Amino acid sequence: MTLTEAGHGAVAEAAAHPGFLSPTGVEIVFVLVGLATLGAAVVTVTTKKLVHAALWLVAALGGVAVEYLLLTAEFIAWVQVLIYVGSVVVLLLFGLMLTKAPIGPSPDADSGNRPVALAAALVSAATLVTLVVDAFRTTWIDLGTTGRGSTRVTGEALFRGWVLPFEALSVLLLAALVGAIVLSRKGKAARPGDGHGGGGTRTSGHGRTGRDGEAQG
Amino acid sequence: MDALDVLWRLLAVLLAFLVLPLLVGQAEHKAMAHMQGRVGPMYAGGFHGWAQLVADGVKFAQKEDIVPSGADRRVFQLAPAVALLPYLVVLIVIPVGDGDMVGQVVDAGVFFVLAVMGVGVLGSLMGGWASANKFSLLGGLRTAAQLMAYELPMLLAAASVAMAAGTLSLPGILDAWQWWWLPWQIVGGLVFFTAGLAELQRPPFDAPVADSEIIFGAYTEYTGLRFALFLLAEYAGIVVLSALTAVLFLGGWHGPFADTLGWVWTLLKTAVLAFVVIWLRVSYPRLREDQIQRVAWTVLVPLALFQIALTGVVKVVIQ
Amino acid sequence: MAVPGAGLAKGLAVTLRTMTRRSVTAHYPDVQPELPPRSRGVIGLFEENCTVCMLCARECPDWCIYIDSHKETMPAAAPGGRERSRNVLDRFAIDFALCMYCGICIEVCPFDALFWSPEFEYAETDIRDLTHERDTLREWMWTVPEPPALDAAAEEPKEMAAARKSAEKLAAKEAGEGQRPSGGPPSASPPRSSGATPPSSGSTPPSPSAERPGRAEGEGDA
Repeated sequence: MTLTEAGHGAVAEAAAHPGFLSPTGVEIVFVLVGLATLGAAVVTVTTKKLVHAALWLVAALGGVAVEYLLLTAEFIAWVQVLIYVGSVVVLLLFGLMLTKAPIGPSPDADSGNRPVALAAALVSAATLVTLVVDAFRTTWIDLGTTGRGSTRVTGEALFRGWVLPFEALSVLLLAALVGAIVLSRKGKAARPGDGHGGGGTRTSGHGRTGRDGEAQG
Repeated sequence: MDALDVLWRLLAVLLAFLVLPLLVGQAEHKAMAHMQGRVGPMYAGGFHGWAQLVADGVKFAQKEDIVPSGADRRVFQLAPAVALLPYLVVLIVIPVGDGDMVGQVVDAGVFFVLAVMGVGVLGSLMGGWASANKFSLLGGLRTAAQLMAYELPMLLAAASVAMAAGTLSLPGILDAWQWWWLPWQIVGGLVFFTAGLAELQRPPFDAPVADSEIIFGAYTEYTGLRFALFLLAEYAGIVVLSALTAVLFLGGWHGPFADTLGWVWTLLKTAVLAFVVIWLRVSYPRLREDQIQRVAWTVLVPLALFQIALTGVVKVVIQ
Repeated sequence: MAVPGAGLAKGLAVTLRTMTRRSVTAHYPDVQPELPPRSRGVIGLFEENCTVCMLCARECPDWCIYIDSHKETMPAAAPGGRERSRNVLDRFAIDFALCMYCGICIEVCPFDALFWSPEFEYAETDIRDLTHERDTLREWMWTVPEPPALDAAAEEPKEMAAARKSAEKLAAKEAGEGQRPSGGPPSASPPRSSGATPPSSGSTPPSPSAERPGRAEGEGDA
C-alpha cells in the first residue's frame, strides 16, 4: 500500500532513474539479503528435519523483515518480526513439539505430492512476480527522503485510504476468532451431552435394579 | 552521527548490558536472602559478597561444555545466543535521559522492543527441543504456551501508551508524558509488568523452568558457559522489562531536576521495578500451568482491553 | 478477606518485614556458636573417676570405645589386713569416626568419668586421627562447661542431699560437743554453709583448678 502511494508520487522521479548499472550500497545489500532469504526459504521446504524447517523459516521471515527495513518500511518490518517470528513460528514450534518431532530426519514427512507442490509454488511465484513487476515497473523510491515507510505514513494510509479493506480484514479475523471459540465450546458441550446420553441409557438400564434395590431397602 | 559517536553509544549499551544484569543478580542474591531471614553470599570479594556473580562466572567458564550425544548439536549450541542477544539489541533503543541519551531512536520503538523480546523466547524453545530430553521438551512446550498467552496483553498494554502519546517512538512517548498519565495508565502498567514477568518466566510464572517438577525446563541439559548465558538472558530480561515499564508507564526521566538528573530518575525507577521483580519472586508460590493460562486470558487481556478503551475515551475527551 | 488481592498484599508485606529485620544466620566460622552445656560435641574423660568397669565400652552401640587395663595389688591398709587389688587404666580411646553421639556411655558411667563437651571442631584429614586417646580425651575434659542451674523449685540432687545430711549431722555433733565444754554460742560455722559447698555435686564436673591446662591448650591439641 505504501509502495503504491510511493509509486504514484514517484512517477515524476522515474524520469531521473539512476539505472541498475551502478548499484548503491543499499541495493547490493538488498540483493544479498534477498538471496539469503531465498536460500533459507528453499532449505525450509527441502530439509528433512521438521524443526529445522521451522527454524529456517525464522531465517527466511527475518530476511524479509530486513528487506522491509532496507526499504525504510520500519513499522512493517517490526510487525513482521513480532507477528511471524514471535508468534507464528512459536505456534509452529509448539505444534511440532506437541507432535514429538524427532531430533533426526523424519522420512515420513515427505508427503509424495512434491511435483504438485512445486508446480503450485512456481505458479504462485510467477503470478506474484508478474503482478509486482507490472504494478511498479520503473517506479523508483528515493530512500534518502525519510518517512516514506514510517509509522505515521503507514498509519495514515491504513486508516484513511485503506480503512475499508482494513475493517474487512478485521471482520474476517473476528469471524475466525468467534469460530474458534464456538468450535472449542462445542467440543466441550458435546462431551457432557454424550455423557448425558450415555448416562440416560445407563440409568434406564439400571433403573430396574435401582428400583429393586429401593424396594428391598 | 559520525562513526565515533556510534561506537561510543554501542560501547555504553554493551557496558550497561554487561553490568546491569549482574547488579540485578547480586541484588536478588542479597534481597532474597534477607527476605528469607538469611544473609546471602558473604565472602566473595570481601565486603558482603559483592563479587559473588563474578566468582560464579569464573566457575561457569571453567566447567566443561557438554552437548548430549542425542541432541541436535547445532540448534543446541545456538540456543543460548538466540536467547541472550535480543536483550542486548533492545537496550539500544531504551532512552535513559532527555534528548540525546538513547542508543538509537527507532521510529516504531515500542514495536521493535516487543518484537525483538519475542525473538528471545525462541532460544528457550530451541534449547528445549534440541536437548532430546523429555523435561526440556516439557519446558519448551510450557514456554511456548506461556509466550503465546502473554504476548497479547503485553502488546495491548503497550499500545495503550502509544495511543495516549500518539507515537510509537520511546523518546517520543516520554516527550509527551505528563504526570497524570500515571493514574490514567496504571492498569495498563500493571498488565504490562505482569505479562512481562510471565514472558521472562520469572516466579510466580516460572512453570516452564519449575525445578521441582521438570528439573529446569528447557535448560536442563545445559552446563557451563551456555547455561550461564541463559541465566544472563533472564537477568538482562529483568533489566529490559523494568526499564521498559519505567519508560512507558512511570515517565522515564521525568522527575524533579529532570533536565540535569534525568538519567538518574530512569535508573532509579528501573532499579525499583527490578526490586519488585525480586520481591514478587520471594513472596509468591508458583502458579500452575492452567492458572497461568487463566490469568492471561481472563484477567490480563480484559484489563488491557479496558485500558485501551479508557485511553481512547480520555484521548477523545481532552482533544 | 473481602478485599480482592488482600492475600497478595499480605504476602508482600511479610517478605518486606522480614527483610528489614536481622537475619537469623549463624556466622559460624567468624563467630563461634554459643552452645549450651551438654551439647553433643565431643566426649571428655575424667580419668580419676574411671574404675575401668568397662560399662561404657560394653554399652556402646557401635563399639567405638577401646579400654585396656591391668590389675595392681595394693598392700593392706592396716597391718594384717587383706591385700586390695585395683584396676589401672592403660588405654582409653574413643573412635569418633565410629561414634554416633548417642551418649549412652555417658549415661551408663556409674562414676561420672565421661562428660559431653560442646567442642566440635576436631575434623581431621586422616580418619585414624579421629581416634582420640586418653590424653586427648582429658584435654576435652577442661572444655566441659558448668551444667545449667536447676529450676527454682527443683528437687535437690541426691548427692547434694546426702552431703548436706552428713554435714548437718556433723555440725550437730560439733554443736553438742561444743555446748558441753564451753557453753558458748553455737558453732561459728553454720551447718548450711558447710553443706552448700560439697566438693563434688552430682553430675557437675570438677571445676578446673590451677594445675589443669586451660581450654586453649585443649583446642590446640585437637
